[in-house]
Amino acid sequence: MVNPVLLIAVPLGLAFSLPIFGLISKRLEKYLPVIAMLFNLSLSVYLVPRVLTHPIIVYIGGWAPPFGIDLFVGPVGIFFSVIIALVGLLVSIYAMDYIKEGDTGKYHVLFLLLLTGAQGVVLTGDIFNLFVFYEILCISSYALVGYLRDRDGLESAIKYLVQGSIGTGLVLTGIAFIYGLYGTLNMADIARQINSIKPAANFITLALIITGLGVEAAIFPMNAWLPDAHSSAPSSISAILSGIAIEIGVYAIARVIFTIFGATDILSFVALVGIITLLVGEMSALKQNNIKRMLAYSSTGQIGLIVFAFAIATSYGIEAGLFQILNHSLSKALLFLAAGYMIYRTGSMEISSFEGMGKRMPLTSLGFTIGAFSLIGLPPFAGFASKFLIVKAALTKGGGLYTCLIALALVATVIEGAYFFRVVQVLYFRGSNENVTRQEAPVVALVPFFVLAVLIIAIGIYPGPVMHVLNSATSEFVHRIAYIQGVLR
Amino acid sequence: MSLEMLLVIAFGGAFLTYLLGKLSPVLRDILAVLLTLVILAIVALFYGRTGESSFMNFLGFNLSLRINTLSWLFAIAVATLGSLSTIFSLSYMKGKERLDFYYLMMLIVNASMLGIVFSGDLISFYVFWEIMSWGTFLLISYNRGPALAAGLKYIVMSIVGSTAYLLGMFSLYASYSTFNIADIASRISTASPGYLLSVLVLFSITFGIKNALVPLHTWLPDAHSEAPSPFSAVLSGILIKMGTYGFVISMYVLVGIKALSHLGHGILSFHFMLAILAAVTILVPTFIALMQDDAKRVLAWSSIAQVGYIILGIAIGTSLGFAGGMFHFLNHASFKALLFMAIGAVEYRTGTRDLNSLGGIIKKMPFTFMMTLIGALGLIGFPLTNGFVSKWLIYKTLILGKDPFLAFVALFGTWGTILYAYKILHNIFMGQLPEEYKGVEEAPFSMKFPMVILSIIIILFGILPGIPLKVINVIGVSLGFKSLAVNIWGIASDTGALNTINIFSAILVSWIVVWLIFKAAPTSLRVEQDNNYAAGSYVPTGRYLYTANFYAPVYRIIKPYVIDVVDIFYMALAGAVRTLCDWTRRMYTGELGSYVMYIMLFLAVLITMRLGFNIW
Repeated sequence: MVNPVLLIAVPLGLAFSLPIFGLISKRLEKYLPVIAMLFNLSLSVYLVPRVLTHPIIVYIGGWAPPFGIDLFVGPVGIFFSVIIALVGLLVSIYAMDYIKEGDTGKYHVLFLLLLTGAQGVVLTGDIFNLFVFYEILCISSYALVGYLRDRDGLESAIKYLVQGSIGTGLVLTGIAFIYGLYGTLNMADIARQINSIKPAANFITLALIITGLGVEAAIFPMNAWLPDAHSSAPSSISAILSGIAIEIGVYAIARVIFTIFGATDILSFVALVGIITLLVGEMSALKQNNIKRMLAYSSTGQIGLIVFAFAIATSYGIEAGLFQILNHSLSKALLFLAAGYMIYRTGSMEISSFEGMGKRMPLTSLGFTIGAFSLIGLPPFAGFASKFLIVKAALTKGGGLYTCLIALALVATVIEGAYFFRVVQVLYFRGSNENVTRQEAPVVALVPFFVLAVLIIAIGIYPGPVMHVLNSATSEFVHRIAYIQGVLR
Repeated sequence: MSLEMLLVIAFGGAFLTYLLGKLSPVLRDILAVLLTLVILAIVALFYGRTGESSFMNFLGFNLSLRINTLSWLFAIAVATLGSLSTIFSLSYMKGKERLDFYYLMMLIVNASMLGIVFSGDLISFYVFWEIMSWGTFLLISYNRGPALAAGLKYIVMSIVGSTAYLLGMFSLYASYSTFNIADIASRISTASPGYLLSVLVLFSITFGIKNALVPLHTWLPDAHSEAPSPFSAVLSGILIKMGTYGFVISMYVLVGIKALSHLGHGILSFHFMLAILAAVTILVPTFIALMQDDAKRVLAWSSIAQVGYIILGIAIGTSLGFAGGMFHFLNHASFKALLFMAIGAVEYRTGTRDLNSLGGIIKKMPFTFMMTLIGALGLIGFPLTNGFVSKWLIYKTLILGKDPFLAFVALFGTWGTILYAYKILHNIFMGQLPEEYKGVEEAPFSMKFPMVILSIIIILFGILPGIPLKVINVIGVSLGFKSLAVNIWGIASDTGALNTINIFSAILVSWIVVWLIFKAAPTSLRVEQDNNYAAGSYVPTGRYLYTANFYAPVYRIIKPYVIDVVDIFYMALAGAVRTLCDWTRRMYTGELGSYVMYIMLFLAVLITMRLGFNIW
């Protein structure tokens, strides 16, 4: 039996030993993230069938909870591990060629740390430990946003840093409250003691933690950092930030609301916030001429949709939310990666400069188109399955509120369709095609495009295997008592 | 051969064609034509078959394909137009860019339409529907330039439609826990009228948009005129009829005649409201069509109007009306496709479709003229063409149903149709041949062939309407309509029979009479057109016979009334939404201070709501 701790330990170890490898050969550096993520991916996939039958609980240092820190490798954790490792692997392959400027060694260290943080957040069973990994994730993303050291990058990195720090500060305050109130930091142990959010102390703790995590999860109105940060980071980092980092924030919120607090009372409010996030995000994206800003706003919109799906809180809803996380990770990563090379070739982020890309970079354009179609929710791409599940969850939940909200969500998809189809038209049909020579992205970049596109289509047509994992993951969120008993025995 | 195999061939063949195109364009063209012909043959062999089979499991639901006479009728129309338009494309598209992509999309759109009509459940219907929508979007945008705006308009309206469909589909699921059309249909009769009405309205939005029912039609004129002509033929001939299919499915298969008749009373019923919309759809677009100067735009607006007839027949919902609507769908598919192809052929040879600059092409393209004439006669509903029979059925329905207003609109629409059909014929083919078109040649064979087939269909179904009406009658009976006394030359009924053989003989006799009279009269002296113009004296060179502002007096009368207010409204709405979106974005000011304020505000709101109002 392989210890799941390795999922965190290997990337962390490689991140810190990377400068040493760098001493041997500069060229070695860029392969280490690939190796780490390949390891994580194979281990996660290897663990999937085991975790589905029985969650693996690892006691760090042999101390049983609530006294020691535990890793709870349940279906949710392994689902996120697979996504993190998969997207991380593909982005690190992409970055082998894409990241040439600057101090590449630092880039790879920070990249690995970011993924380590994400990995830790989803696996840990201790709320303070979660906070620590969360900080690892956030701090490395602040640094990576400013990686290019241009004016925009630094400005948005600092803005991101300030807002992110306020967020993590609030989370830390919330955790301190919890420790003061219940004398424990183990999530299952806290959950055992909290049965309601009626007491004001509990509610304020919850409010602090949700607001704090909401910053990183990019929930309206705490998402103002996102368009700046995602658009000025290098595209490979934008892909990770949009495809993984903000989803981790949503995971943390879901864990806090469902497992720790069991706070089903506030879910209709959360649903409302989700829809507002979705609408504001999509509406802001509509008139963007900067491709990365457009994608960034679209990410906030998609996060709103995910939050809404989770807030439906039936098992259909959570399932739909998790599916949408998967779809968004794959599609948005593909979109950012494809846009990255288009920007690299044209030297401009203006959408209008991408005229004739369909001929200049046909495969990259195809990748972008598939990502866009999937995000809009067109069949036969993965986005259709998630849109399907979300609408199904909302309408089977019943009640006027959710029917109205899902109608608004669908209005948002119309807006989303409008701007994505506009870009697709620019790629293929705008301007003249004459005097355009083929300048395809390098093979290292085409590999991730190909894998992501194939996954999007395959999951779109045969969502069955994914649903198998999602069913167990959903029940982990829904059955709070089972989680508590599982950890505390 | 199973339905799954057919769809696998249709979709797989499309991708194969694309890949083959990378190797050899000639082989690609051959494969594309062969594929559509094979599909046509297979669909034809399916005649009379019924059955349903599930083909895959999607998210725990069985997706199924089903065939019956209704879907067969639509499928055969799809397959026929698919193969004819592909053949037409061979020379029309020759030398254009990105042909692999063009054929791929044509074939995918075709395959997805087959998927739609063979879907046995609402999910697969939606899946194929969406594939058709984005495929169509890519094909409309193909021509660049103004086509881009047209494509965007189309796809945005299409997404609005699919949004409505999703809501309708899932509210049915929430009540019946199944997506299977037959299962829902068998249980729906107990539902409350209000619920049925809401579902029907949602579906009507979806299908109304695709079918271009006023006020949901605004995408069509741009899209039809900007798309490549072979695709315009498909678009107008069959793609918008997927909306018609949707109406039939949602009204008569899902809800059923019986439940449908309980939805409202008299004028305030679903039937009648839809019929009123259909009447408006006939009336206004007909006269907008009259005022267009772009031949394809005339045809596009005409498509909207003709679809009005189809929906009118179907909405009235008697067996005669249903038969008329369904027959008119087939007829419109044939003559509108023929007209788009003929205009395409003219455009292919002359490079323009502007009705004001063309003229006299009959001397150079007599064959195309004949085809346009047959198409136009069908469109008008001239006896001995199929359009006559279907319009006769629709008029008859309206008169029998004591709807004088609707009947008047239908007749008035036909009057307008005559005007614009003549305008097309005259402005393109009659008059003086401009200098620049002196070297124009007749359309190539691959364009002539599909046109001939379509014109044969038009005349055959006009003289022997019993052939399609028999099939339509089977459909009507299976949906619960009274059986019609159909025979090969028309319909015998107690309220008035239609006998095309009599009409045929009457026309033949009158022709002979007229011919004899002319024969007996002194022969007239033929003079050259130029001679006629200059009364025998010096003939000026250059162009002296113009056809612009064709129906000036009529324009003056109708101009103030035929403005597409709906389009203006939608465009204003779109503009307002864009402004609103821009305002929303300004929330992100760029000021760090305000961003921090947002975070604190959210926290404050949460805590205030709890402490101040004690909500949670």
